[in-house]
Amino acid sequence: MEQKNPEKIPNWKSDFPISTEKATHISRREFAKFLGLLSGVLALSNGAIVIKALAFPSKPLEGDHFVCNEDEVPVGKMIQFEIQGDMVIPYILIHLQENEWRAFEQKCTHLACAVRYREEEQKIECPCHNGWFSADTGEVLQGPPPRPLPQLEVVRKEGKVYVRQAEEPYAT
Amino acid sequence: MSDFRASQNKAHPNKTSTIMTGIILLLILFVSMQIWFLFGALNNALEENLYFALTTFIGSLLLALASFWLLRYLPDPIRTVWKK
Repeated sequence: MEQKNPEKIPNWKSDFPISTEKATHISRREFAKFLGLLSGVLALSNGAIVIKALAFPSKPLEGDHFVCNEDEVPVGKMIQFEIQGDMVIPYILIHLQENEWRAFEQKCTHLACAVRYREEEQKIECPCHNGWFSADTGEVLQGPPPRPLPQLEVVRKEGKVYVRQAEEPYAT
Repeated sequence: MSDFRASQNKAHPNKTSTIMTGIILLLILFVSMQIWFLFGALNNALEENLYFALTTFIGSLLLALASFWLLRYLPDPIRTVWKK
């Protein structure tokens, strides 16, 4: 029989009940609460992305950056270089043909694997998931990458190769 | 003495279990959609697509509020009285 003014079971005891039914019930309640908490954390994470995009927009590259001398990269070859800014971004410089140079970001737009220029195919390959980009424009030719490779404009002055921010993104 | 609620609970012992299962399934659905939004926002924010990030944030926030609201309907814990 229930008492008129019952005293509650202390929390430490109700958290470890003897009967299986109560134990299952408590763990399912806790699981539901955990899912609620997870839901809140996910919403906050999504908010953090918005705050980062609003408060810390990525700055465009300013000025010309020296990469190498022209004679250091033969036709059909590529070299890797980095530009120090807010963060270090790796790029590749490709000597496509005589007087034809291209510079792309080295991180694949799919999962940021390092891409490389394949001379025999004349395309840029992401070896992780068989993604292929055009070496001319950076456009996706095949595979999972969702976007073209970000491109820099290549400028040559007195036998030296410089890069700078392309005026139109993904333009040749 | 038992009241109406106690009689109800005795007559339908599976009721709280069904409600709890329904709530947990809905919560899993909401959280899955939020993970999908977050993945999309991370992927698109890399291209500085602010509007996509903003839209998914609002969607995710509404889903989180719905999750909190659902928790109100969690059945009370089964408690027995403390007998001296």
